[in-house]
Amino acid sequence: MKIAVCIKRVPEMDVKFRIAPSGEGVDETGLKFDMSDFDGYAAEAALQIKEKQNGGEVTVICLGPDTVHETLRKALSMGIDRAVQLKADAVPVDAWAIAEALAAELKTGGYDLILFGRMSLDVANQSVGPMVAELLGVPCVTAVSQLDVSGGGVKARRELEGAAEMVECPLPAVVSIDEGVARPRYPSLKGIMAAKKKPLESRPAQLGAVRMTRRGSALPAEHAAGRIVGEGPGAVPELINLLHTEAKVL
Amino acid sequence: MDGERLLWLATVVVAAGFFAFNVQKFTDYLRLGTAPEDRTNSPLARLTNFLEIGIFQKKIFRDSIAGPMHAAIFWGFCVLTAGTVEFIVRGVVPSFSFSAFLPHWLYAFYLANQDLWGVLVLGAVALALTRRLTRSVRRLQGAETHPNDPLLILSWIGALMITMFGMHAFELALDPTSPMAAAPLSLNMANALHGVSEGAARAGLEINWWLHGLLVLGFLNYLPYSKHFHVVTSLPNVYLSNTSGPGQVGVMRAMDLEAEDVEVFGAADVQQLSWKNLLDGFACTECGRCTAVCPANATGKLLSPRKIMINVRERLEEVAPVSVGGGNGNSEAVLGKRLLDDYITDEELWACTSCRACVYECPVSIDQLEVINEMRRHLVLTESRFPEVLIPTFESMESRGSPWAFDPGDRARWAEGMDIPTMAELTERGERPEVLYWVGCMGSFDERSKKTTVAFARIMQAAGVRFAILGQEEKCNGDPARRLGNEYLYQTLAKDNISMLDQYGVTTIVTACPHCFHQIGNEYPQLGGNYEVIHPSTYIESLLAAGRVPLRDGETANAVRSFTFHDSCYLGRYNDVYDSPRDTIRRALPVVRMQEMPRSRDRGFCCGAGGGRMFMEETTGTRINADRAREALATGTDAIAVACPFCMTMMRDGVAANGASTPVYDIAEVVAERLD
Amino acid sequence: MPNVLVFAESRGGALRRAAFEALTAARSLADGGEVHALVFGAPGIGDKTAELAKFGAATVIVCEHAAFANYAPESMAATFAARVQSGGYKAALFTASAHGKDLGPRVAAKLRSPIATDVVSMKWEGESLVAEKPGYTGKVIATVVLSASPALVSVRPGTFVAAQSPAAGNVERISPASDPSADRVRVTETVVGDTAKLDLGEAPVIIAGGRGLKEAKNFSLLEDLARAFGNAAVGATRAVTDDGWRPHSDQIGQTGRLVSPDLYVAVGISGAIQHLAGMRTSRTIVAINRDKEAPIFKIADYGIIGDALEIVPALTEAVRAAKHGA
Repeated sequence: MKIAVCIKRVPEMDVKFRIAPSGEGVDETGLKFDMSDFDGYAAEAALQIKEKQNGGEVTVICLGPDTVHETLRKALSMGIDRAVQLKADAVPVDAWAIAEALAAELKTGGYDLILFGRMSLDVANQSVGPMVAELLGVPCVTAVSQLDVSGGGVKARRELEGAAEMVECPLPAVVSIDEGVARPRYPSLKGIMAAKKKPLESRPAQLGAVRMTRRGSALPAEHAAGRIVGEGPGAVPELINLLHTEAKVL
Repeated sequence: MDGERLLWLATVVVAAGFFAFNVQKFTDYLRLGTAPEDRTNSPLARLTNFLEIGIFQKKIFRDSIAGPMHAAIFWGFCVLTAGTVEFIVRGVVPSFSFSAFLPHWLYAFYLANQDLWGVLVLGAVALALTRRLTRSVRRLQGAETHPNDPLLILSWIGALMITMFGMHAFELALDPTSPMAAAPLSLNMANALHGVSEGAARAGLEINWWLHGLLVLGFLNYLPYSKHFHVVTSLPNVYLSNTSGPGQVGVMRAMDLEAEDVEVFGAADVQQLSWKNLLDGFACTECGRCTAVCPANATGKLLSPRKIMINVRERLEEVAPVSVGGGNGNSEAVLGKRLLDDYITDEELWACTSCRACVYECPVSIDQLEVINEMRRHLVLTESRFPEVLIPTFESMESRGSPWAFDPGDRARWAEGMDIPTMAELTERGERPEVLYWVGCMGSFDERSKKTTVAFARIMQAAGVRFAILGQEEKCNGDPARRLGNEYLYQTLAKDNISMLDQYGVTTIVTACPHCFHQIGNEYPQLGGNYEVIHPSTYIESLLAAGRVPLRDGETANAVRSFTFHDSCYLGRYNDVYDSPRDTIRRALPVVRMQEMPRSRDRGFCCGAGGGRMFMEETTGTRINADRAREALATGTDAIAVACPFCMTMMRDGVAANGASTPVYDIAEVVAERLD
Repeated sequence: MPNVLVFAESRGGALRRAAFEALTAARSLADGGEVHALVFGAPGIGDKTAELAKFGAATVIVCEHAAFANYAPESMAATFAARVQSGGYKAALFTASAHGKDLGPRVAAKLRSPIATDVVSMKWEGESLVAEKPGYTGKVIATVVLSASPALVSVRPGTFVAAQSPAAGNVERISPASDPSADRVRVTETVVGDTAKLDLGEAPVIIAGGRGLKEAKNFSLLEDLARAFGNAAVGATRAVTDDGWRPHSDQIGQTGRLVSPDLYVAVGISGAIQHLAGMRTSRTIVAINRDKEAPIFKIADYGIIGDALEIVPALTEAVRAAKHGA
């Protein structure tokens, strides 16, 4: 079985971001990067499917400049077989443009299954997966929390609000992965060393026309420093008031 | 030469040859350990250990009953060996005697000592047998031990003593002018044989002589099959050990991760340990002192340091015959097994808190911790097999430089408003601080520990020390990763830290976390980082002694009047710092009463957070920190003092788990509270 | 005067609030033009459309088919996209609900266009749509400019609160643009969840308890408070899960669950580092503890000092009143 996983290199999310001097995106100085969390689940899902099928090959694909090599090697160190960089100076926020570049690469690969993370953590368009499926003319299931790939088809569970739906489709297919499918394995040192020798190909990305751009970024308003509202049950009314008017959570 | 002497000579030669063969086999077994090991350094320190721990039995005496008992047997054996040599040679050359080259009085003294030590040995052996037969000593029992072996050995030694006395008595009975008369007990026994005929006496001597001879040679050759082999291995083991002295206390084995074509990292089987680890297995006497002080074992976990060492020996004895050559038809099954999983489970390995109590307690300087660490390295680096709960910890260290899921940008928030410069700021101004204050992750992110951080900073400011912090540039020193076996992550962090520290030209560091202290001071040199590292307990004490810290006079109204100090494992057993923290408290609070817990100083009971266990769940038995807190609360003191942020958290939780509210303070807080 | 087409989401034969939010949001884009709503469903859904008129739908386009008893993404996307094109709409809008997040990009793909998803504000600038959307796990708000036409956009649920504005609501019936029986993606079953117990990872409000509650049975006070909120889950610290007061899966902290709710109420929790690591990214933190020195107060937005066993029942009453009264 041939599986492809499309990943994106994003910053580590657990930091206080600053806006870049240009005002367009975030200031990248000092940030650490890794593949987006959901992409990690997708990569792990791909490896587990390959292991269950007792054979096959997993390819990881990433769009971006040469800095993505580090992210691709991390994927290889998990056990993925080969990596492809679609070289571009920057990753646009236009999901369709990205999808066109990915589809051009995936078209010739003969993949049975193409996995995406549900969304990237930085731009969070949640769109590239279904768009790639449309370009390739294959069915697509998004945001699955359980995945079973067998018998030439996909059986998956998708979470809704207060409910869930069970979905099926035949292979080849595109699936985007949500939380709950798999937790990425921790690469062993053996894996890290083997990754250095695995094939990493690089070719220019054939991006589509860009019709959505990011003009600026801003930080949301900081919330006020904490305070003791009062003592004992008598302080409750004031707390309710603050939760309603200030914090707006009630 | 007459037939009997020829027979004896032949027996001695055969016995010696057989023993030599077994010793050869034993050294071949040791060679199976391929991990690199060099123990030729620090000969003077090693010799000191050999004398203190080996000859003078320093660790043995930590048990007040078994101590003198064993010392009697060991020293007795040393003395009696002289007699045995004389005995063996005399069997071939009857006229041989030490009196040929010793002055008369010395020879008489020597003979009297044979008697004296013979009695002491016999008495000690009788006591030892009683302890075992009545099953009155808990640590001597354990599923992993071989209980019949010591019973046999002790009885054998007893028989040796009895036949020795028998020989001496009959010899004197036959020839009252014999120099043996200098031996008082033998003389008395000979007098008791007064009415015995000459023929019977001669027969008695002959029987005892041959019995003794066969028992001696038999004993020698039984040794390799028994744990009593330690008589051969323990003294060399003490000399060769790094567990105290040779500047390497508690330091994990260096690992070269750049090596190409390495398939296996760490140790899954005996072949991946070193000859020294294997020798440790053969030095083990199954005494159980290590397991008796293990905090994991004491609270119901599967881990037993003794079992680890016995398993090493058992596995080596199982696989070596097959590997070294020969072996029986079962070789495939044997080779298919390994030390990890078939003998030692990962559950045992993860239960360790790396407190070093087992290593410290061992009378023959075995390093149980080294085997545990090498096997953890294998689990993590080669098999990526470790408790799932550690994945976020490792990932956080990798991406945020801290095992705690906090924003690295918040690292220096505790310092807001305190006017403390960072190394970057000072460097920009072209200045250098007196000392770098390395805060550590707990001290930076944990709300309770931040108070300790602030307290120590205030003390230094009050003393006029010019210090700086790294602020956001500080990263985890890597200790949790290393102790958990993730050497790759550790080296990544450590190398980054070292290059940053060297860039700033840092030479002196003070840190309030004993784990940072041990790591940066003792283990960073392995990777080229050499710094002088001081812990606040010693630093504050030196500042106080120099009068640089202005303290208030008189007591405050609600002053704490009594303290019990909980020793930090990484300050204490790893770095021999026991007095400084106590003295610091006394200097700050002269009228305070310090109450020691039953398990204190080098017998201190771990808080349970070491070895990376702070980041894991404790699911079996009772909680280590609750156990230790109960002990602390039982002293009845007003407060508990600690010198480590991990201990702080564990003791606070432990106190709460016991339903109490006794406060826990760091020694820095105790002093800072008294600042003028 | 642009017309806007809106996806009116339904499930199980009933319209969802997402549909009304979408209509309300679309009105701000219509700029004098009309807002149309497209509804899919099993035969009979057409009778439920009067509501849509109340929220501003000038025309309600009804597409009924037996297969639409369940969500049928492929034929629904094809139909919606076809209507966008044939209807000459200036913009098409979805609510970024679970189905909306799935359908929106599919429609965009059919129209070979990007889509601005999960936006919290939007306006026209000439022919382009300018919108703000959260990114970087909510830590950064990006302003995006969408120049494709028609402009496709999905709005974050709960941002454009549904508000009524009655319109004509003329019903137009259409057939699916592609045969649903040829759909390759099939929903075989819809499982209604256990709405009684919210997952910690999803709950907008979490009430967590620690040792300060004294005994396991006092957790019932927290469960009452959670019920008063209506959308809250109950969590616990490691100390009390280790002692068996609560199941292991309820543990919040470094070795348990990492949560990020809108409101986190920490009751009888001191705030040791292992626990804080699991909840410090919560939007608003309230702490109730009898110890004013407890580290939890350092990161809490609001704190009440006192006995949790007294304060929590009072809080429960107050929350109940606030939810049902106002």
